[in-house]
Amino acid sequence: MKVTDKLIASIDKKLERFDPIWRAEHGQGGQRSRYYDKTGVAKYREWRGTKDTLYDYSQWLKNLYSMGKMIVNAPIPCLKGFWEYRWMGSYLGTFMFIDRLYEGFRGYELRVAHMNTHAIVKSLTERIALILSNDKRLGGGPRSDDFLPFDEVLPALFLKGFKELIPFPHQTLPEFIICDVDQHIEPYYIDVAESFGLPADVCSRCAAETGVAIDDAFPIVGKAFLSTNMPCNASESTSMFQRRRIALPDFPVTLAMRHNEPEAKPYSTQMLKDAIAFIEKEYNVKYDWDELFKYAKLMNEQNTIELEKWDFLKTEHSALCGIAETLYRLYSWASVNGSDPYFNKVDRKVIKLMRKAYEEKYKPFGGRTRHRAFLWGPSAVYYTDFPTWVQNCWGINIVLNMDSTMGYNMINTEDPEQAIKDLAAFSEKATMRHHAVGGWDNYNAVWDWAKNFNCDMVLMNDNIACKGTLGLHAVMEEQARELGFHFIFVEHDLEDSRTVSRQDMRKCVNNYMSVVLGEEPLDPTIVEFDDSDAY
Amino acid sequence: MKDLKHLIYFENLLQDAQNELVTQAINEGKHALGYNCYYVPETLLNLPGCFSSRLRAPRCLSSDIANYYMTTRTCPYVRSILERAIEGGYSYLEALFGCECCAAMERMEIHFDLLHPVKNDKFFLTFFDPPMKGDKTNLDYYKVGLKNAVVDPLAQRGIDVSEEAMRAAIADHNEISRIITEIGNFRKLPNPPITGYEFHVIQLVSQVCPHYLIKPYLEETLEEIKTREPEEKFPFRARVMLAGSEIDDPEFTKLIESCGAMVVADRYCFGSFPSREQIEILDGETAFDAICRHYLHTNQCARFMDGMKIDQRHNEVKRLATEFKADGVIYENMKFCEFWSYEKVLANHIFTNEMNIPCCTIEKEYTLGAVGQLRTRFQAFIEALEIKNIQGGK
Repeated sequence: MKVTDKLIASIDKKLERFDPIWRAEHGQGGQRSRYYDKTGVAKYREWRGTKDTLYDYSQWLKNLYSMGKMIVNAPIPCLKGFWEYRWMGSYLGTFMFIDRLYEGFRGYELRVAHMNTHAIVKSLTERIALILSNDKRLGGGPRSDDFLPFDEVLPALFLKGFKELIPFPHQTLPEFIICDVDQHIEPYYIDVAESFGLPADVCSRCAAETGVAIDDAFPIVGKAFLSTNMPCNASESTSMFQRRRIALPDFPVTLAMRHNEPEAKPYSTQMLKDAIAFIEKEYNVKYDWDELFKYAKLMNEQNTIELEKWDFLKTEHSALCGIAETLYRLYSWASVNGSDPYFNKVDRKVIKLMRKAYEEKYKPFGGRTRHRAFLWGPSAVYYTDFPTWVQNCWGINIVLNMDSTMGYNMINTEDPEQAIKDLAAFSEKATMRHHAVGGWDNYNAVWDWAKNFNCDMVLMNDNIACKGTLGLHAVMEEQARELGFHFIFVEHDLEDSRTVSRQDMRKCVNNYMSVVLGEEPLDPTIVEFDDSDAY
Repeated sequence: MKDLKHLIYFENLLQDAQNELVTQAINEGKHALGYNCYYVPETLLNLPGCFSSRLRAPRCLSSDIANYYMTTRTCPYVRSILERAIEGGYSYLEALFGCECCAAMERMEIHFDLLHPVKNDKFFLTFFDPPMKGDKTNLDYYKVGLKNAVVDPLAQRGIDVSEEAMRAAIADHNEISRIITEIGNFRKLPNPPITGYEFHVIQLVSQVCPHYLIKPYLEETLEEIKTREPEEKFPFRARVMLAGSEIDDPEFTKLIESCGAMVVADRYCFGSFPSREQIEILDGETAFDAICRHYLHTNQCARFMDGMKIDQRHNEVKRLATEFKADGVIYENMKFCEFWSYEKVLANHIFTNEMNIPCCTIEKEYTLGAVGQLRTRFQAFIEALEIKNIQGGK
């Protein structure tokens, strides 16, 4: 052992009583002891041992650098953005958000988690600076008309064939990602929509999008807009509001819902061709297949690495865990979709670490995992750190999430005709809709996924307003019993933390773990606590 | 007005999905083909030797078992249909043609496969993906979907799906539509010889009974209405159009009329707009193509996303309100219906602020309970219409 290692080991030994995991194991507190009651404000940073604490702090600084860079690159637009948009202020909670995501993470899983998260922070801050600098609501910019706003659930890869344009996911900044960060932001927009007459029983995510539109809180860019029928009925309906409020020429990219049927592929292929023709007309630009192939190669590489990651995820030696996997895959697939080489760089680094961890037979979370769970159904956006909580509290490792199974077929990078067919198949399997709609078989696929990933448990997100999943409530439960899976419905309201609070969600798991399985929590301080005032 | 001769008979036919005419047709060897949604063309299910049966769950009081399968947070129409299926109410069906028109509908229909509630050895279930736009790409997709999910399975079971058979089905559709349209047009008169409730009953029997058996009664009723003496003075305080999602209970229309407004036009699922328009076969077009084009064009579902169909949806309401001289529109949606919940809000805004059509929006359950609140809403709306009329439309 080197001298430095000895020194670090000695410091770690002396300071271990500050480690919340050690404290929980020794009945002297735990993760929640660090927090002020009801809030997400910690009294001090988590002590993870010398190396991990320093690494964690360095990543905190790295993220701070990205945010600083955003302000430096666009100081006036950022200021205007804070003044104009309520959602901009919520981004200040990003640091707390990241700290919360990786509580209890150590060693390899911490490193992989931060690599993934920094890619998201870097991408988001660049995007915020870019769009605010060109937002017509704030005075516009040199590239305002080069933007191509599209519904964030539409996979954007096929749009990369327009070299001159900047495809931009319209709802991501004001509605989706920000709800991950701040549980209190979307209820405001939901209330705006409901004040306009929208019933409270529709999907809260779509209600929030509607509210953002009515509240004029979408940045205005571009000359035309692409909406989509994905992923579900409410999403289709909110598009009708958004198209009116945005008031740009629009084209709904309606891909086949029943995407397993033989007639689906030709239809979706034609739909993408129609969309390309619409953009060419509205923007007076020409589609460039070589440009598309360039980005398709990036996406193919990402998906190739993803498939290798899945092989590791099937074992108990995966360095990629829980929300670090879920959030990254969601953002890198749904929002980046092959358009940013930085994500490929991160993927290459991550897979190297994963290989190394596997060779070393490394077990994440100090081997405290008791159950391997597949998370199915649309997850609560306002409780992004839920997978972290289930691991820290009950030792349930969320191995993979339904949305991580989005399109992973390879795109042909030589033949345009084959490429567009591949893109159609790829695009049909987008966020929340690959499995949640398009026939019962897709939803029922959970058992095969759970089995293939060696899970003994399925956590079923029970979005109280998702009609597609509610419609199969009983048969899923009956099948879980028949197939011998531990099965927990986790009730939530997607983006409205007032209806089903984070604690209510925790209660669903607590009840099952303590009453049905009779297990003791790993950390008693986080079984029941009030974080209703937290970001 | 004097009671319509067959009204009680029609009302009785609506008391069960398998009514006496359905039973008679089955006994005569006809194939009973079920469907729920307008996206499934009724005409294709009335090919020679078959008859269409649009599923209702009359007299459904609770949906306890369906609630277990689909929770209480999904559309009450689909839960009621599932409940009735589990009770054995649709065992006369030889097929159910499903479509993913909405998530709740698809989930309900798949239970026909998972739970096998239809006790009929011949029963089969198919699905297709209904289009969401009205353009050529979507029309082509609609055609392929209907061919794969409806036409081919019928052909495999020995049903004649030839051009002649399709033309015969169109002729049948046009004939029954002519009768219903003629009856419905009486509602345009200042003092109509028919009420909205009576028309609702008539329209419903045309959708749930075999056409060849109900047609003589409908023809006779048409003749009767032609000479029927209306009330001396228009007995209602206002004329309203009813628009929105699924309504298959004529008691709902009766409720509105009991509040003082005659329902003069019916633009909702199970209504006559759309469903009773003539199908025209264009030059060079096959009968099947004509059916597909007709149903895609006339469909007013709130799930259409393209601007053309959205505008058509609102313009159609305006057209009907003008033609039928409606003072206002009652726009309803079935509780938990995502599509119509949004559409109702948007339409209310457009009618009120852009088209200058008074609009009242309500949300309803499938079974007509808690009518007190609805009655209050209707009464207030009718009063507002009356005041507007007194003030000369201001």
